Amino acid sequence: MTRSARRILWVWLAVAAIVVNACGGAATPSPAQQASASAPASAAASGGSAQPSAITGASCAAGAKEVKFWTSHVPPDSDALKHIVDAFNTANPDTCVKMTIVPGSETDIAKLLTAIRGGAAPDVYMADRFTVPQRAAEGVLDDITSATQGLSSQYLDFAWAETQFEGKTFALPFDTDARALWYNKDLITAAGQDVSALDMTKGPATIDTVVKIADAVSKKDSSGNYDVLGWIPGGPGAGGAAGAFDQGWHYTWGFTFGGTFADLTACKVTPTNPGVVAGFQFLYDWAKNHDPAAVSRWVASNRPVATQPAQQFPFWTGKLAMTISGDWRIAEQAKYAANGHYDFTFIPVAKQGDQSATWAGGWSMALIPNSPSRDQAIKFMKYIAGPDGQRVYTKESTHLPTIKDLLTDTSLYDPQHAKFLDLLKVAKNRPPLSVGAAYWDALTTAQGSVEANTMQPMDALNQVQTSIQPQLTTAGC
Amino acid sequence: MAAAAPALTRSRRPRLGALERRNLRWGLLFISPWLFGFLALSVFPILYTFFLSFTRYSGIRPPVIIGLTNYERIATDPLFWKSAYNTLFYTALAVPIGVLMAMILAVAMNQKLREVGIYRAILYLPSILPVFAISLIFIYLLNPAYGMVNALLGLAGLPSPNWLGDPTYARISLVLIAQLGAGQWALVFLAGLRGIPIELYESAEIDGAGAWTKFRRITLPLMTPVILYDIIIGLSLGLQVFTSAFILTGGGGGRGGGAGPDNALLTYVYYLYKQAFQFGQMGYAAALSVVLFVVSLVLAGAVFRWARGWVFYEAEEA
Repeated sequence: MTRSARRILWVWLAVAAIVVNACGGAATPSPAQQASASAPASAAASGGSAQPSAITGASCAAGAKEVKFWTSHVPPDSDALKHIVDAFNTANPDTCVKMTIVPGSETDIAKLLTAIRGGAAPDVYMADRFTVPQRAAEGVLDDITSATQGLSSQYLDFAWAETQFEGKTFALPFDTDARALWYNKDLITAAGQDVSALDMTKGPATIDTVVKIADAVSKKDSSGNYDVLGWIPGGPGAGGAAGAFDQGWHYTWGFTFGGTFADLTACKVTPTNPGVVAGFQFLYDWAKNHDPAAVSRWVASNRPVATQPAQQFPFWTGKLAMTISGDWRIAEQAKYAANGHYDFTFIPVAKQGDQSATWAGGWSMALIPNSPSRDQAIKFMKYIAGPDGQRVYTKESTHLPTIKDLLTDTSLYDPQHAKFLDLLKVAKNRPPLSVGAAYWDALTTAQGSVEANTMQPMDALNQVQTSIQPQLTTAGC
Repeated sequence: MAAAAPALTRSRRPRLGALERRNLRWGLLFISPWLFGFLALSVFPILYTFFLSFTRYSGIRPPVIIGLTNYERIATDPLFWKSAYNTLFYTALAVPIGVLMAMILAVAMNQKLREVGIYRAILYLPSILPVFAISLIFIYLLNPAYGMVNALLGLAGLPSPNWLGDPTYARISLVLIAQLGAGQWALVFLAGLRGIPIELYESAEIDGAGAWTKFRRITLPLMTPVILYDIIIGLSLGLQVFTSAFILTGGGGGRGGGAGPDNALLTYVYYLYKQAFQFGQMGYAAALSVVLFVVSLVLAGAVFRWARGWVFYEAEEA
């Protein structure tokens, strides 16, 4: 071999060493990473790295079969998840579930997608249930129909339906929730308003009543900017972005005004349904009456990012008197605003005597294709999404279970939490569509334009129809 | 005539001698790791992206060829036009302002002061901060009620905008954040400035030229190749702006929200990312990237053509 040839060989060897080192580093966590049981907040921060640290499984037996479990949940909900995983690991010493908090959200699964393509995917992924049909259509989730035979009857019908695509099961339902109008009694009373008008025992208040109370609470500073706001029925979302400030989403107001968002039989989205249009019209009118720029400024000031810590949420800091939110605020209030006086009631209705509407969301446990620990992963999924797991999660997170039997287990609910069970009975749910995430995003964009008063409701919703229906037709139902 | 043509060819491309051929062969072998990387990690993905743009592909299942459907969809997609507008708005402002900032910083860094090294370090410092960190800090600096930027504007008696909550100001915020990277370009400009022969300035001074005249007649013309380079690279990076918009909107729109007010922060690559990774539409995302590729080529070609009229190369004058 000549001298030059030897040099070239060295160059290639050096390059190969760098590549192998880089790939090996990504695929195999260091012992320190494996042993790490850092706090969820730090685990979330490390989520941007190639291999975020697991927060469970540090004390697993050496020969235990590993199951990688990923969630995008953060505290306080991830604390409850961790307790369930720890309990499973203790009860099943032959299996070691390693739970990791990864970046992501209801509709953003970039981390999961790249992990699957890179051969470093988890075995179990916690997926927003309304996106399951879409992820199944994309091939991101594995078919677990045969392993879950006979389980459907124990779950709420709507929750089970959300885990189905083309007649097959792709996830197990986990929690659910319901939405209500939360209010701060002290702020409303201080504004000279009769807080008893919102008492749940009196049935749902009208939107006009709520707006009147809210406007009395709202205060402006010397510059003419809102300092305290009585209510934001819809958006803008964090930082002034299109979307809901809290849970006043397009679905919330579409359902409230009697709308339907899809015709599953015909495999069609129906964003221009009269009820949906009426809901958007309400948002348009409210924004117009309260100055969209001023409201946006208040939101950008008080909720600059969606990832704002729960204790800084303006409803808990006394900057917002009313918000449409869910059962999870019960746990938050106990933790971050224990000395305040808060309550919740039905989402307000258009006319006195109308039936109040709410909707239920929730998450699910899904198996990722080609799992090397398929049997153990399914065993874990059945545990966490079964009575054992859901019992702990319901109690600690104050969400609601999707297992029918747990709805009547009174030990899981204090009187406040139990009221959400009544709301759940009449709750609607988002249509399980193979374009669910895209539909949500398109409706969010439309909501943003309508609340900024830059588009009329029908024009914005027509755009949703035009962009989503062809995608649904292609993907199927 | 028949004999002239080969002669002409020979004069343009002289045949390589044995030694040169051997050197070329070894040269190619020495850079073969890079060549392999370039072909496997750049050329192949580009060609594969062209193929994917004609398919329906989720990133997991095998792609299905659907012809021009993705391109037809682009034409009627309102968010495509919105993201294209946002990106062009950003590029049209960020690139010229970036050139100006880099030039000002370079001139400042080039002053004959004893402590100029300290000034250079201070001016360059923001450039080494990751865009991620800068963007995150800016969310708080630009807070309309509690942010430092509005506090300073208020002290100066100026209005305090809703930076990230107003569509126009949100776009301008992106441009502002980009300027924190100007220090990096200032170093390139500084190298250009220091390459200008001192004799030219001395001659100009003898002829009575002032500072402004020297800058306009000597510095600026001799810096035009660097400025062109900055514009071309800036154009390319501007059309691909992603990170700052992604972070300012809470990383992917946060919990199901949009990309800024009225999607004002939905840049083209951000939209492409959403299609690929949120909606599993890799085929459509590939078509979007092909359009971006073509537009980038056309714009770069237009800039080169335009530059013929104002870029000054010393060799041409020799």
